[in-house]
Amino acid sequence: MTIVTGKAEARRRLQSGRSGVLRQIWEHRADYAYVLPAIAVMLVVIAYPIYYTIELSFFKTPPGLQLRDKTFIGVDNYTTILTSEVFWRVTWNTLIWTLGSTLIAFVLGFATALALHREFVGRGVLRAILIIPWVISAVAASYIWKWIYHSDFGIIGAVLVGLGLADRPPNFIDSVNTVLPSLIVVNIWREFPFAMIMMMAGLQTVPEQLLRAAQVDGASAWQRFWHVTFPHLRNVSTVTILLLAVANFNSFIIPWIMTGGGPSNASHIWITHIYELAFGRQRWGVASAYSVLLFLTLMTLGYFYVRALSGNERQEGSA
Amino acid sequence: MSTTAETAPRALSRRRMRVDGWRWTGRIFLAFMLLYTAVPMIWMLITSIKSGFAALQFPPQWWPDEPTLASYEKLLDPQNSVGQDFLRFFWNSLFVSTVTTILSVIVAVPAAYAFSRFSFPGRNFLFFAVLLRNMFPAVIFLVPLFILMRLLGLMNTHGSLILTYLTFGLPLAIWLLKGFYDNIPVQLEQAARIDGATRFQAFILIVMPLSTPGIIATAIYSFIGAWNEYIYAYTFLTKNDQLTLPVGIQRFFSENTTDFPGLMAASFMMSVPVVVLFLVLQRYFVRALTEGAVKH
Repeated sequence: MTIVTGKAEARRRLQSGRSGVLRQIWEHRADYAYVLPAIAVMLVVIAYPIYYTIELSFFKTPPGLQLRDKTFIGVDNYTTILTSEVFWRVTWNTLIWTLGSTLIAFVLGFATALALHREFVGRGVLRAILIIPWVISAVAASYIWKWIYHSDFGIIGAVLVGLGLADRPPNFIDSVNTVLPSLIVVNIWREFPFAMIMMMAGLQTVPEQLLRAAQVDGASAWQRFWHVTFPHLRNVSTVTILLLAVANFNSFIIPWIMTGGGPSNASHIWITHIYELAFGRQRWGVASAYSVLLFLTLMTLGYFYVRALSGNERQEGSA
Repeated sequence: MSTTAETAPRALSRRRMRVDGWRWTGRIFLAFMLLYTAVPMIWMLITSIKSGFAALQFPPQWWPDEPTLASYEKLLDPQNSVGQDFLRFFWNSLFVSTVTTILSVIVAVPAAYAFSRFSFPGRNFLFFAVLLRNMFPAVIFLVPLFILMRLLGLMNTHGSLILTYLTFGLPLAIWLLKGFYDNIPVQLEQAARIDGATRFQAFILIVMPLSTPGIIATAIYSFIGAWNEYIYAYTFLTKNDQLTLPVGIQRFFSENTTDFPGLMAASFMMSVPVVVLFLVLQRYFVRALTEGAVKH
């Protein structure tokens, strides 16, 4: 019954006055059956862990997960974190990692999408090759790049020495100064294809006529891009950047496998640090408090994410 | 600009030159991106056919003096312990990813359909809850899930991974599928209903066949996601004979730190299934992602 007339029905119901949410829920009871399996699985695996993390963050926990012996200590875990030097170091790393990876991956992906927009021989093949890094496992990618960066036998070092640009192969991931940028290069390698796909799809929605009209009016290629193409892609860009930012904020594998956060925390980001606190040093309470802080940060990001998405929807509705 | 009429030809040629300039910039840029993308993969392949000795030379052999498939033979040989382990990891990954994929599709199809078609109280809230879930990192769930899995007696079983992957894959799967259902005209179902089909029949007979591309795409995403997943597998599995490929390879090569040809060969073989799947079904894969996000 609701299948077609959903909107009309809602309107009618509004007109007939408040008939009560409960009645509505009852009337739609059959619809929930479709969503129920998904919700049930997610409640067990998502809602419970979130609750449990928040609870644990207020307790001092013994190692070895003998959690019956935990003691309530209020917000001590939080003060421990916020007053530690490592926290600020790691936060700074996370910021650079997230912003650097997101922006560069987006710009490279967008530029590639623009360059691939015109039809030419071999375009399909080129596109497929460019997407491969995004498909393969991050573990494989980490090992490939670890080998490429290898301080004795790495190919980049060998090329630099061969060209006379360096006396000996540089240390990319064993040096405090270069480790984070080196890892960002790997991350971008895996991520720019995603931005590329999104922006390619976005480009297809830019009306040809507008571009042609602008051309007839004498707009240069750059003007056409800046005044016609780009405004049309604002929504796709927002969604892409947010998705990339969230993914980068949450990344774990590349730093964990390539450096394990070292040397001297120079490549630790929040996630790897939390993992080490929990499963390395078994400080479950502190790690939980860290997770809650992370959670709050992500909620803020999530707010903008949802707003960007619903902005999308609104604009489409009015179009 | 008032003299446009007289200088039109020259302006045109200048414009063409500028357009050519952009085109060349584009080509050079694409060449650069191709190098950036392909060189690491090519170097992986070249290294994988070197002997252990040839890999550890400086300056490196750009092409191995004596190319050999020894690393692949070792990994795929069920007679020796390395091959046994690798093949078992491979099988474990295949099993976990396949089961996850099948379950994801079964659960996501009705949910996505409901999100696309019905308006029930809480529908929007539920949908954003689905999207929001995508935002939270694995680490937040690790400790409690670790405890939950112990409680359920699922530690060191593939069940723990399947349950987790299923949950974390669902939001994306639902989102992707919803994009497809949104594009199937409601009128088709209406027509079927008028002809006497029940809603369920209309769903199975009309909507399902039309959404096959979406289901294929969702299945690929689930499979690739599960195949590449590392952090849960790394945490939930400790017994050697249950590890999936990413963790298995990591465990294995943390003991054999200098066997780079072997490591590259293993990385290559780990990538083959997903890359092949992607290349064969590329059309669906790309379309699904953009259908959900661009058209929303």
